[in-house]
Order: sequence, then structure tokens, then C-alpha cells
Amino acid sequence: MRAISAVVYREYLIRITSLTWIFFDLAVPLLYLLMFGVAFDKALGQGILIGGRSVSYNAFFLAGVLSMTSFGNALNQSYGFFIDRDNGILYEFLTYPMTRGEFLLGKILFQCGMTVFQSVLTIGFGAILLGITVPWHLLFFVFVAMMVGTAGWFFLLATVAFLIRRNDTFTTVINVTYFVLMFLSSVFYPLDRVPTWLRAISVVNPLTWHADVLRYLTVGIGSFESVLIESASFILFSLFSFWLAVRTLQNTI
Amino acid sequence: MIKSDKAIEVENLVKVYAKRNRQPIRAVDGLTFAVQRGQIFGLLGPNGAGKTTTIKVLTTLLTPTAGSARVLGYDVTSKPLDVRKQICVVVQENAIELHLSVRNNFRVFGRFHGLSSGEIEKRTDRVSELFDLRSHINEKGLDLSGGLKRRVQVAKTFLVDKPIVFLDEATTGMDTFNKRTTVQAIREESRKGRTIVLTTHILDEAEVLCDSVAIMNHGRLIAHGSVESVKAAGLRLLSLSLSFDQVTDSILEQIRFHNPTSIEVRNTTVDVTVREETAALDLLAAVRHHGHLLHFEITAASLEDVFVQLLDKKAGAA
Repeated sequence: MRAISAVVYREYLIRITSLTWIFFDLAVPLLYLLMFGVAFDKALGQGILIGGRSVSYNAFFLAGVLSMTSFGNALNQSYGFFIDRDNGILYEFLTYPMTRGEFLLGKILFQCGMTVFQSVLTIGFGAILLGITVPWHLLFFVFVAMMVGTAGWFFLLATVAFLIRRNDTFTTVINVTYFVLMFLSSVFYPLDRVPTWLRAISVVNPLTWHADVLRYLTVGIGSFESVLIESASFILFSLFSFWLAVRTLQNTI
Repeated sequence: MIKSDKAIEVENLVKVYAKRNRQPIRAVDGLTFAVQRGQIFGLLGPNGAGKTTTIKVLTTLLTPTAGSARVLGYDVTSKPLDVRKQICVVVQENAIELHLSVRNNFRVFGRFHGLSSGEIEKRTDRVSELFDLRSHINEKGLDLSGGLKRRVQVAKTFLVDKPIVFLDEATTGMDTFNKRTTVQAIREESRKGRTIVLTTHILDEAEVLCDSVAIMNHGRLIAHGSVESVKAAGLRLLSLSLSFDQVTDSILEQIRFHNPTSIEVRNTTVDVTVREETAALDLLAAVRHHGHLLHFEITAASLEDVFVQLLDKKAGAA
């Protein structure tokens, strides 16, 4: 636990050196919702029909923004490995008295805190400015889902960062992959009217699982059973990613 | 619990870097040596000898391909965390948090090594005094010169009391003053019973600092023991410094006739290294008849002379 708290302390010290960084970190999801969401909401006019219910696009898109936030935070944090490696400090860290798992958990724990702050801001301002009605009693589970989502993606992206030695290659690979994953998921639109091939791919996309769980928790769309399966699938994906990241960190430095 | 009286034991250590579509590189090839507790031990060798790879294995950054390595009795492969609890390391890379102040660099390092906040502040004062970092304590890593960054990196390891300190090319980029400070700090820590393992290209530094050394080349050990025993390792090299009123061709011819291992002419002084005492005395007698010898000095060869000789011998054998 001491080692994990030391990593969190280090992340905190680095983050508070740039208030601009913190501001944009916190504000980006909200800006996404206000600009992208509002534009689509107006374009679609009457909102969208899903599972026999009509919801505003803003309400639908809230879960998409939150799942993108988790992915974005995980991406930012995994990109930090390139900076640490270039500074040489990564090698020194790995000689400190902690396991590789503790190091990775500490790295993501701070980012999970940031994720919860971003969620509070996004959901809060979404409710105030856009009139999105959120079941407040489920808010705790939203935060848990956000943290698990951030951690799961971080472990996977960290694995890629350890394997790819060049940061420009990493950025290209991840941007292309993310682009494909986003549009092959339920982040931007409901999947019940998309072509069968797209839906078939989407159901095995962890981004879909995460967005669906968040959508159920924020606007109540989806069935409890399917959300339960998707939650379990995402947790398994996160645990596998964690195992993979630890193993890769042990073998590739 | 510390399990061994030896600080480090390395047996038949092999590390092979296998890269796709490339020939595997045998960076460490059957290395065996031991370091006693409380010693200052120098791992020496030319670039690419396998020193840093050996240090990386000992500090659990790399897993060995074959053989074994133990740090205070803990195996680096099966007990890496126990090993890491016994060590602190100055890695070859410049490792400093660029966005943090020097003070916060110390704070982070201290936290990782289990020091309380009060203890960190107290030790930061001592270490920043020792390494003359007081005036830089609130500067960010980003704003420090290369030498200062290295100084902070080395200073961090003296913040904690780990029994074994690894210094991989620790004085690289430091000016003379900082080197001297670092060398003094290393000596002091060693006197407290800490084991210091260092790699360096600066053999004079190793010679004055180390209790024992191991010389590596192409991943293999070519000499190991106390500095004196390595210097005497069957080579019996002697250095002669000969000062004349002028250095003539006939003097140089006489010197070459005695098969020196090295000759260096500096104005009216010739530095020569020869094998065996008899060769030194014969050479001295010979040059006296070919020039006006003003001054001479015969000393045991330096570690650097032995190092060069050992590497030449190995290269010749290969």
C-alpha cells in the first residue's frame, strides 16, 4: 500500500505543476458534451428512439462522453510512460521497492480520481445546462464504472506503450485503433439500426460494453441482464489487461 | 532478514538479447564473481563489455537467460522485490523528475523508500548540504544543467540507508568538484558498512575508490580481485617516467628495443610501460648511455595500464 500511495503522490505532484493541464483535463469532456452533443441534439430534432423509449441525443450521448473520458484518461496516462522512459526515470522506478503491479495500480489510481472529478463536472453541468435527468441514486455506480473503465483501458494501452518503443508510432496506432473502436461501438449511436456486420463487431468491443453500462446507469437505457453480462465482460477484460501489462513490464524493459 | 554474508553472488550468469530477424547478442557470457559486504566494488570494461547489462540483472531490471545472481542472498529472478528492498540505484540514464523541484525529487524518492515526511526533510537538508544543492533546492529539474541533474540523481541514493548502492557511470557529466564530492560521499557510505557497486570508464577513479574490481570484456570476466591483485595479475607491469635534456631518436630506439607495452612522449619526458622489473632496469641502463637522463621514476603500473594490457591480450588471443 505504501508503494501505491508513493506513486499516487508522485503523480499528484507532477499534475499540480500545471494548472492549465488540470483545467483542460477536467473541462474537455464537458466541452465535448456541450458542443458535439448539443449540435447533434439540434440536428436530430426530436431525439432518438431506443428500446421503445425516446431520449434526447444529449442524454444518450452522456454515456458516450463518459466512456470516451475513461479512454482518453487511460491514453494520457499510458503516454506518460514514453516521457518517463525518455527521462530515464522509468528505469529508476523499476528498481524501487515495489512490485510491477503496485507501480501500475498507483499510476492509474490517481487518474481514476481525476476521472471521478471529470464525471462529477460532466454529469453536473449536463444536468444543469442541458436538463439531462440522471438517476442520482446510481451515481456511485457510475463512478465505479468510470474508474474500472479507465483502469481497464490503461492496462491495455500501457501494454502497447511498453511494446512500442516510439511515441509517434504509439500515437498513430492508438489513434487509428481508437477511431475504429469508437465508430464500431455504441458511443455515438444506438446499435439496433446499424448494419448486421457492424453490430456483430460492436458486441465484442469493450468500448460498447463500457458505454452500455454507463448508459444504463445514467439514463436507464438497456436491460439489467445484458448490462450485467457486459459489466462482467469488462471486468474480465480489465483483469486480463492488468495481467498482460504486468507481464509485459517485467519482460520488455 | 539478510540471508548472506556476501553482498552479491553471481554464478555463470548469461544474458542474451534475442531480437527478431537479428543475430542474438550474448551481452553477458558465463559471468561469475562475488562481492563482500561493505566493499566498494568496481565493474570495469570498455563500451559494450556487458557492465550495464550485469547491473540491470542485479537490480532486477532484466531477468537472466541462464545462471544465477543473488543480492544479499536473495535471488534476482525468484525474489525480485526482496532484492529491490535492499538496494538503491543510480541508473546510467539521467533519471530525474524534470517537472518537479529538487526538493520534490527528494520527497518522491524518500516516499518510495518508506521514509516519513519529517525524516525526508531532515535528510534532504543533510544531502543537499553534502552535494552542495542548497541553492538549487527549489529549482525544477528542467532548469538544471546536465551535471547538476546527475548530482541530484546521485544525491537521492544517499537519502536512504539501503545496504547496497549501485552506481552506473554515476560521475558521468560531473565537473571535478562534484566528482570529488561524490567520491567522498561514496567513501563515507562505505565506511558505514554499505556495499557500493559501481561501473565507470574512469579507471583512476576506480583505482582510488575500489576495494575490489572485476574487468569485463565481451560479456566475460577477464580479471577479478583486489585492485592490487588485478594490477599484479601475472602481468607485472611497471611504469617508467624518464626525463631527458632532449629526447633523441636513439633514445626512442633503445626504448622500443625493450618491447614496451606503451610509450608516450611529452616534451622532454617519456612515459613507458614495461613488463617485469628486469626489463625496467635494463631499459634504464640502456637509455643512460644514449642521452642525458635528468630524472626517472619507476612505479607500479596504473589500473588503466593493466586494463589496456588485459584487453589487448584478450583481443590478441581472440
